[in-house]
Amino acid sequence: MFLQTLITGLSIGGIYALMAVGYSLVFSVLNFSNFAHGAVIMLGAYVGLALATKLSLGFGLVLAGSIAGAGIIAVLNERLAYSSLRRRKAPSLYLMISAMGCAVFLENLVYATIGSRFYAFPEFFGRQVVTLGGSSISLLDVGAFLFALAAILGLHLFINRTRTGIAIRAGVSDMTMCSLMGVDLDRLIAIVFLLAGGFAGVAGVFLGVKYLVYPTMGWVTNKAYIAAVIGGLGSLPGALVGGLLLGIVETFVSTYVSSVLRDVFSFSMLIAFLIWRPNGLLGRDSEEKV
Amino acid sequence: MDYILSIVVLACINMIAVLGLSIFTGFTGLFSFGHAAFVAVGAYTSAILTYYYSVSFPIALIAGAAAAGLVSLVIGIPTLRAKLRSDYFAIAILGFGEALRVLLENFEITNGARGLPGIDSFTTLPIVLVCLAGGVLIARNFLRSRWGAACIAIREDPIAAEMAGVRLFQTRLLSLVVSAVYCGLSGGLLAHFLSFIQPVMFTLLQSTQLLAAVIAGGMGSISGPLIASFVFIALPEALRVAQMWRLVAYGLLLVLIMVYRPQGLMGYSELSSLFRKKTGEQGGQQR
Amino acid sequence: MTTAQGPLFSVKGLTKNFGGIRAVDSFSFDVGEGSITGIIGPNGAGKTTVFNLVTGIYRPTAGTMLFRGEEIGGNRPDSIVRKGIARTFQNIRLFNRRSCLENVLTPLLQREKCSFIGAMLGTPGARRIEKELYGKALDLLSDLGLGKYASYQANTLPYGLQRKLEIARALATDPTLLLLDEPAAGMNPEETRSLANMIAEVRKKFHVTILLIEHHMDLVMNICSPIVVMNFGTLLAKGTPDEVRENPEVVAAYLGKGKRDNERAAG
Repeated sequence: MFLQTLITGLSIGGIYALMAVGYSLVFSVLNFSNFAHGAVIMLGAYVGLALATKLSLGFGLVLAGSIAGAGIIAVLNERLAYSSLRRRKAPSLYLMISAMGCAVFLENLVYATIGSRFYAFPEFFGRQVVTLGGSSISLLDVGAFLFALAAILGLHLFINRTRTGIAIRAGVSDMTMCSLMGVDLDRLIAIVFLLAGGFAGVAGVFLGVKYLVYPTMGWVTNKAYIAAVIGGLGSLPGALVGGLLLGIVETFVSTYVSSVLRDVFSFSMLIAFLIWRPNGLLGRDSEEKV
Repeated sequence: MDYILSIVVLACINMIAVLGLSIFTGFTGLFSFGHAAFVAVGAYTSAILTYYYSVSFPIALIAGAAAAGLVSLVIGIPTLRAKLRSDYFAIAILGFGEALRVLLENFEITNGARGLPGIDSFTTLPIVLVCLAGGVLIARNFLRSRWGAACIAIREDPIAAEMAGVRLFQTRLLSLVVSAVYCGLSGGLLAHFLSFIQPVMFTLLQSTQLLAAVIAGGMGSISGPLIASFVFIALPEALRVAQMWRLVAYGLLLVLIMVYRPQGLMGYSELSSLFRKKTGEQGGQQR
Repeated sequence: MTTAQGPLFSVKGLTKNFGGIRAVDSFSFDVGEGSITGIIGPNGAGKTTVFNLVTGIYRPTAGTMLFRGEEIGGNRPDSIVRKGIARTFQNIRLFNRRSCLENVLTPLLQREKCSFIGAMLGTPGARRIEKELYGKALDLLSDLGLGKYASYQANTLPYGLQRKLEIARALATDPTLLLLDEPAAGMNPEETRSLANMIAEVRKKFHVTILLIEHHMDLVMNICSPIVVMNFGTLLAKGTPDEVRENPEVVAAYLGKGKRDNERAAG
């Protein structure tokens, strides 16, 4: 029972982490909570779904297409809804409200055009199960978890080892200085959103395969956002730690305490962290732009 | 005719909540993604009182508004004392609202997610209009009192406000409670108009709609948000626009306002200078 | 420098660290009742930090601050204001989108004890208090020559008048001690001279003690006594304008910068 709970928690946590990365990435550079990320995840899932059902592509291509689609959407989102705010150095709150507007807009646009129907991905993996120490684990969960780990590790290496990654880190510490040094800020931010969107695409496909595809599926990302806050907004390792931690805690609360209280518990954790530890477990200090 | 009447009543009920949020957001400068929770508290408290305990309607309304004010203390005291970043504060209230909704979906007395049907429909247009007029009057008195002046001072510059003798925490908390009371009153009227309430009626989307009305109508304005709120409710109803297209429009509107006109349509001004003269501010908005 | 009952305001060993940087380092000075005390010093000497410590915006790392014999260190800014210390800011902080009248009215209202319910219902009593305070606010504006701007939005005033408005707002808190942070910043010699007169008048008329930070040596040397000189967060010298002017350490700290001004002020 305990092991099973732990494993279920880890597999949910892996997906939370995958989604939380997008929040942290954007926050680390632009210092605001990009609530449109959930909508981008949802759109990524629809892109993947279209590729899988209309073109009958295999999982690899579906994933690639979804990554590309969501990446482009995220970049467009930044260009249209954030870039002018960013240029006139608007408070982070305004960016957040704009992001909230995007989320409401995109979700309901899908709802109004494609409809509220729930769609399922074709069965890519079957329902294979492996047994470990007396508890069964779906192969999909294992795959999702490992993929999430690998992707986050890859991103970590990219940020720390490549020229572009180092430019992003410089942008994180001082955007104005960075542009004075001749770094193309717009390009840098486009790359950040492309990466965040790519992760949204992956998360969207995994969510869609594991559960279903529907307009409000992005609201799960409220949880991912909580994970990002717990880990420390703006920190990639934080997103991973926060995601796994939240996944495990939630599963334990719903197994051993009450499934009803699970969400109440998560939201209480969000509030508690914002009040007492706004930089999360691994986050850096961040000052609000006023 | 009945149809038009019900649109007007709904719009006015919404205006009362928007009026409250306007005090908090437009005049105190704090943003919230969770004020629908206070509407919910008012709606459920008053509905439960009239439904299960046969309490008279006016008393139930007052109790609903008071309950919303009390509940706002629960989230207001820790967050406002901690002086959170303004966006973290908005998110903390969001989390609070969502948590409260989950609780409403699981309490026995609220009949869970299925909602509470069969509430007496006591709310009539005259009652709503009286509440709205009273609400506007009190809001106006509040804003020109020492507490309202303190709120506006905090919005303009918190440090300068403190140096003018304003108590930062207490004033912000008061503003939150006042706004929650308005939302609670609006919720009580709503419950007794629709005679059916459900937790999904008070989600983040509703909070965002309230905020959209305040922001679109204009920061630091009473008339602006009221007009925006009326237009938001009445126009799509009159045009029979489907709910989801309305939300598409709200979302787009929020983005467009943030990008092009963050102070809102009537930012820091009122509908008529005549109104300003009456409030005794002697046309303080000269440019 | 001190009166028979001891100074109005007395700072001892005031220290403030920001991370590893010590912005103010065991700084001590007194302000005698009724005086216009000046704080001068090169940029970055820690003058504004002292003001922020005195008004409770920062918490001191160490040291005591006695105002009328009462320790005020660690108090919140609004309670320090209520004890009788008011200030203006180096980079003007007005309630920008409110009228001049409302800027002054806000602190006046905060001092008033009135019933919340009465104010909400707009009872005649509440109205009367409001009327009274309007009158007071107008008087205060007129005293500082801002009477005809009462209905102007604060951020539409010219710079010099915004500084005056800030002083008016500070006076509306009914202070005993008024802190002015570079009141003449950005003013031409003409405006500076009229400001000097105004500060002297304000002291007389409102019975306030004034502590001011200033870079304009003419102003400081003309109206301040004593003068406290700060450098690198510590006390460099203090005394009358003449004593400070003669002090070789002060001259060294200001070398080439304020010297000519000093001589002109002396001449």
